[in-house]
Amino acid sequence: MAVNSFKSVITVFISLGILLITYSASAAVGCTLNDPERDLRRIFPESTGYKTSFHTIEGAGREGLKKKVESLLNDRLDPVYEAEDVPYAYYDVLKGKEVIGRVHGINQKGAYGGIQIILATDLEGNIVDFYYQRISSPQARYFRDESFTQQFIGLGLEDLYRQDMLEKIKQPTPGETEDFFNTLRGIKKNLILLDAFYFDGMQNSRIGKVEKGERP
Amino acid sequence: MKSIAIAFKNLQRKKIRSFLTVGGVGVAVAVLVSLMGFDEGYQRGLRSDIDKMGFQVLITAKGCPYEAATLMLKGGGGLRYMDQEVYSKIINDPRVAAITPQLVHTVYDPDKNNGQGGLALYMGIHRSFLDLKPWIKFKSGNWFSQDDAEEVIMGYEAAEFEQRSIGDKIFIPGIEKILTVAGIFERTGTQDDGLIFLPLVTAQNIFGLPDQLTGIGIKLKEISQIAGFEEDLYDEPGIQVISMAEVRGTIFNLISSAKVMTNSIAIIAIFVAVIGVVNTILMSVFERTKEIGVMKAIGASRFDIFRIIWIETTLICVWGGIMGNLFAIIAARLVEHMLRGILPYAPSGHLVVITGGLLLSSFMGAIIMGLVAGIYPALRASSMRPIEAIRRGE
Repeated sequence: MAVNSFKSVITVFISLGILLITYSASAAVGCTLNDPERDLRRIFPESTGYKTSFHTIEGAGREGLKKKVESLLNDRLDPVYEAEDVPYAYYDVLKGKEVIGRVHGINQKGAYGGIQIILATDLEGNIVDFYYQRISSPQARYFRDESFTQQFIGLGLEDLYRQDMLEKIKQPTPGETEDFFNTLRGIKKNLILLDAFYFDGMQNSRIGKVEKGERP
Repeated sequence: MKSIAIAFKNLQRKKIRSFLTVGGVGVAVAVLVSLMGFDEGYQRGLRSDIDKMGFQVLITAKGCPYEAATLMLKGGGGLRYMDQEVYSKIINDPRVAAITPQLVHTVYDPDKNNGQGGLALYMGIHRSFLDLKPWIKFKSGNWFSQDDAEEVIMGYEAAEFEQRSIGDKIFIPGIEKILTVAGIFERTGTQDDGLIFLPLVTAQNIFGLPDQLTGIGIKLKEISQIAGFEEDLYDEPGIQVISMAEVRGTIFNLISSAKVMTNSIAIIAIFVAVIGVVNTILMSVFERTKEIGVMKAIGASRFDIFRIIWIETTLICVWGGIMGNLFAIIAARLVEHMLRGILPYAPSGHLVVITGGLLLSSFMGAIIMGLVAGIYPALRASSMRPIEAIRRGE
């Protein structure tokens, strides 16, 4: 009895130690939600909770992932601001014990400052909500306007490679193109990383197609 | 040596009780070390922040001097402005080794404070800024191309947050202005890392404050000249002279009252731990009354019994000291994180600094605590009469 109690006390102390270590490890984060509780409830009103996890491009089993991401993105990842060790936060939205969606954000270099693009996706990886958590631009209000952001609802990663689909997306302002393309790159990067971290190896995974030599 | 082995075995008999008592001492020591470490870290950080401002004297427009100094350290709104003429008057003073004018201005940024909106701080600087802060180096780029160039130099963290490189544009909300990034400073570990700097003239122009300054930083040739320098500027209208040494002293005085409170908490924690140790050892003595009687009956002296009980108490406190020190080291960053969330102004650098000296003194303190806490139980045990103890223990 005494030995069991002693073990329990030790277990509590070790658990506390692990908690402290994970707490400090999660301190540096690429792009997290400003107020997860409020933001997730707004996107998924039926949610009852959420679970956060962090993923990086580097790490065991992810050798060569950077190249694959760059290949899918058709652009280089910035060595300073999009380094392989940047942790990406993923919020699994729960209804009871069931995951009903996922919310994830990325930092994207904008024309006039950093842009934070937040996507909410269903379990298939299709966008159910998109908003800018941060955008520094003289045209920021046009980019934030729902008439622009709503155009992305329902799209999945596959759609972003379809020219006919992209041509349907209207720019928020006629003169501003740089941040429009930055936004497209950011959304694409966001969905590619979701694909890499959650769907890799599945039948419809685009990363898997690249591995098989099938370019998107 | 034998007494230590006996004491050790005695403690092992009731593992959980011993472990919890050690835990109590450990928590008290950890609280003490964390609080002392915070005191050390805060003082170091504040001293470093003030020293890294680069000047010994700050001239600002009349108002609350400490508010002005805090604003320069921390940033914020409600700044007062003074005429640039003051700068022209002081620049030729023979006592001045280096001098730099500054214009701090805030604009409303809707993305600040986690999207709640807030004030973003911009600082107009002159080339002499680098004379007062010679440790600042460029990570990339260079100084502004002209005194009135529409350019910015970004602190390391500001550039990282905005993902800016040399030649990129930066948008200043509120005044709807687009400027070009001319340089990015290397990390300094100060508030400068999060700032965006503009040429002084540009800042005065775009913020609509021609010939206005918020501060003049001054480094004197001789530190002993501060009093005389302050005295000479005392009658200058609309300005006030703040010695950074005074600011430091005042802030330290302000936090000393908080220090009394935190020290009281530590003392209470230690007092509670001492009572816990005395209680544990006393219980152990009462439980072993018969055993102590037998030991005395077969020849153990009063001092032998006293020594065993005293060592038991000291062992508990030694382990508690080690445990507390380890716990304080492991939890230091967590404590720091929590304190940063509570404190209205937290200096840069580590807020909790646990030095070797602090660990050693807290460990020695734990031993002394053990020696003091052990006196009464050891006396009770050693003063038992053998026959009576055996009878009472049956």
